[in-house]
Amino acid sequence: MSVERPPLEPLRPAFRLRFLSDEQLDQLQGATLDILERVGVKFPSEVALRILEEHGAQVDRATQVVKMSPDLVMRALSTVPRYFTMAARDPAYDLQLEDGVTYFTTDGCGVETIDFDSREPRPSRKSDVGEMARITDYLSSVAYYWPMVSAQDHGRTAPLHEMDASWNNTVKHVQSETIMGGPDARFAVEMATVLAGSREELRRRPNFSLVVCTIAPLVQDHAGIEGSLVLAEAGVPVGFLAMPTLGTTAPATLAGALAMGDAEIISATVLLQLAYPGCPVFHSLMQAWADPRTGTYVSYALDSRMRYAPVEMAHHWGMPSMGACYGTDALLPGTWQSGVEPALDPFWAGLTSPEIVTGMGLLRTYTLLYPESVILDDDIYHRARYALMNMDVNAETLALDVIANVGPGGHFLAEQHTRRFMRDAMKRAVTHQLDASGGYRDPLQVARDKVAWIRENHHPEPLDAAVQAELARILAAADRELA
Amino acid sequence: MSDPTPALQPIRSAYRLQMLDDQQLRDFRAGTLEILEDIGVRCPSDRALSLYAAHGARVDVERQIVRLPPDLVLSAMARAPRTYTMGARSTAHDLLLDGNALYAATDGCGIETVDFATRGRRASTRQDVADMARVADALPSVAFYWPIVSAQDHPATAPLHELAASYGGTVKHVQTETVMGERMARYAVEMAKVIAGDEATLRTRPPLSSLICCIAPLAQDREGMEAALVFAEAGVPVGFMSMANAGSTGPATVPGTIVAGDAEIVAALVLIQLAYPGAPVFHSLMTGVMDPRTGAHLATTWEGEAAYAAGVELAHAWGVPTLAGIFGTDATVPGWEAAAASAVALTICALCGAETGSGMGLLDACTVLFPEQLVLDADIYQRVRNNLARLDTSRAALALDVIRDVGPGGSFLFQAHTRDEMRRRTFSDLTNRREPEGGLRDPIEVAREKVARILAEHHPEPLEDAKQAELERILAAAEREMGAAATPQAIPSSTGAHR
Repeated sequence: MSVERPPLEPLRPAFRLRFLSDEQLDQLQGATLDILERVGVKFPSEVALRILEEHGAQVDRATQVVKMSPDLVMRALSTVPRYFTMAARDPAYDLQLEDGVTYFTTDGCGVETIDFDSREPRPSRKSDVGEMARITDYLSSVAYYWPMVSAQDHGRTAPLHEMDASWNNTVKHVQSETIMGGPDARFAVEMATVLAGSREELRRRPNFSLVVCTIAPLVQDHAGIEGSLVLAEAGVPVGFLAMPTLGTTAPATLAGALAMGDAEIISATVLLQLAYPGCPVFHSLMQAWADPRTGTYVSYALDSRMRYAPVEMAHHWGMPSMGACYGTDALLPGTWQSGVEPALDPFWAGLTSPEIVTGMGLLRTYTLLYPESVILDDDIYHRARYALMNMDVNAETLALDVIANVGPGGHFLAEQHTRRFMRDAMKRAVTHQLDASGGYRDPLQVARDKVAWIRENHHPEPLDAAVQAELARILAAADRELA
Repeated sequence: MSDPTPALQPIRSAYRLQMLDDQQLRDFRAGTLEILEDIGVRCPSDRALSLYAAHGARVDVERQIVRLPPDLVLSAMARAPRTYTMGARSTAHDLLLDGNALYAATDGCGIETVDFATRGRRASTRQDVADMARVADALPSVAFYWPIVSAQDHPATAPLHELAASYGGTVKHVQTETVMGERMARYAVEMAKVIAGDEATLRTRPPLSSLICCIAPLAQDREGMEAALVFAEAGVPVGFMSMANAGSTGPATVPGTIVAGDAEIVAALVLIQLAYPGAPVFHSLMTGVMDPRTGAHLATTWEGEAAYAAGVELAHAWGVPTLAGIFGTDATVPGWEAAAASAVALTICALCGAETGSGMGLLDACTVLFPEQLVLDADIYQRVRNNLARLDTSRAALALDVIRDVGPGGSFLFQAHTRDEMRRRTFSDLTNRREPEGGLRDPIEVAREKVARILAEHHPEPLEDAKQAELERILAAAEREMGAAATPQAIPSSTGAHR
């Protein structure tokens, strides 16, 4: 038996802010076009070079650097769909991307897990992917799932095993960030087709999508690009994620890093649109800093302004955006640093309104899974969700009659209005859970207990036995062929 | 040897947000006017009642209830200044409340201190007020100082000792939230006059302001109102704060609690404008939500935080500056909760154009001082301040020439542009600090060390000897006049205390 899964609660902000002016957006876009035309991007893939060359890009075979005229870029970008569907095993959880709604996911690809039972750190494995899929399947803040850690017990075919574990444990959309290369991508499409029922149905309601990282500065990943072409052909949404680091792989100025990362994303998007016009593609850019004192990778500088500038840049290109929330550098959950760094993320993201957002639940700069972290990040999410709501000001909520009844110096406790509204007036966050003596519990312990409760009580509908068997068969074939 | 106080770094938001639309603001204001006209506010001060009556309010003397016709409210509020200066000992640290900057203050009136040296909990003292004034003085994030804890070692005249200790420790503006009653307020004004140097400066650059709490629902405090009148007469800015609690001292709906709180504040602001037209005042709505199981006043529930921004916009709708609710966490120790729950309220208040805000440095519903919490909150403040600043998209910032030089697959590490620009990027001095053996240090520990370093090294420009002597003379006189009647107070216990 399983408890009922709460409905999704995406951000639907009542407020919107424009952080970049039209002029700034044009400046940034102009810089991207300038970089693509005059500096170029390296595509170490014969297939990609051929497609780009056929469509008029200037290809240097020796360096594999491709330069694109502004005209070519704009022509290719004109076919990118502004919105599309990210479908789920259960159609009730299909995400129809649209203006004014933001769907969040978990972080992914961690390498170490604090064991659910022994609480000892160990390398991550396939069962962790499944456990976290099941836990986040229950959370109203998690609209779709990134396999949170790497299935390191499956070596070469880990990315496909991560998909298998995810689909078996959540009814929500799954987004991989590890499937790389044409052969792997073809196995993934085969698995997804089994789940969808047919190639046509997969194209209509893609039950998974992929994030491909670019390599700063201005290089595409061979396997990433070739995998993305396979998925684009099948109609599976693909996003390109640039992660420029100010000071090492990117200029030490924010605008420079943004323009350069954007050029990486846009060049890959151009490729996909030239190859498969109209295929669903999304845009994502997460800047980081190299700490000049130590060289360490820093996700949150004290001045992290414009963390959500890429959202507006994506929209300026006419593409959906995946915003980058969370990703603390803290080593432990429930600590000051793990609270302070992401504290503003969902609120800022909501104000800029990306269509999708990653990534709740990992520590140590996307590498370490404490299962309870996702619950604390969920709490920060809901705080932002409430802060972004319109206040309901009407006769009933203003309660002037009740105020008149109580009068100066009186008390509202005994009023019927109080009994009626008190439940709504206070939802208990992890910070306001009571212990037996009426004190507030440690939020970290509350989060741990919630993970344990979900593990015990929430069991999403299993995949059809025939589908499970078919997925297992494909995995066995992949293990044989790819390993 | 003195040490210069760093320049202030107020939040100058490049962006503005309106949380309440015009109709919502009209609904709130109409609600407040209706409450003030039909229900009224209890004011247990004869002086205040006769002032209200003399200007046309309907006063029920027996029940001490004042009802205010809308015209009277609107004409009184029209006299309140929208912009004024809160002065400081050093002119460079004056605060111009003109809507272009948010100035943040510490929290105040805590009753327990986690001892700087022993780390044990104990009752707060005057020395704590002085030490933390020095810490606040060293932080560019803190623009003005609330005596952060109560000088409980001076029971009869604690609020005046808090002022003396504050002026001794910081050159910044000081705002009291404990001076109550006409007599004590006169002493406080006298002290402020000593700091200002003369009466005219006290009016143009008052180094003191005062915050008075209303009593929800819809009542004023006699001592508070009488102190407020003394301050207003002297030109010392005075603000009124409602801490109505949804479900107990306010309706169980956040808008209902906001409108009831707003009515309390506006009734008091009207009195000040009737008595001293044009006196500088401010509006402060810091409502909470009651925990239905324990009755506690909670400052950081998911649903309740929007009220802080609504308070900012209501103040502006009435044409006065605001003191916004920022920080003020329900957390009991420094850590995740205090960090995760603070930044959003500060950001919204800044986006809505708050002029001032208070609440940095205390925990456990504004009762307990962990000295390092002020440094931790200052770090959050800087994150918010930077987030609200504009992005530089100039040609130099776009760095196209550098990108071209480096090219696909290169490294930016050795570019001159990188060396120059990396120095301009700002990083937290609390996070990502390395242990000698390579591990990462706990930011809370780093914050504790920062407090210790400030206390050892930072000595702001001292008060002139003559002024110091004058303050002590005033304190002694106050002690003689008010101390005789008072017996030392019992030290409040550490749990369950809420302001």
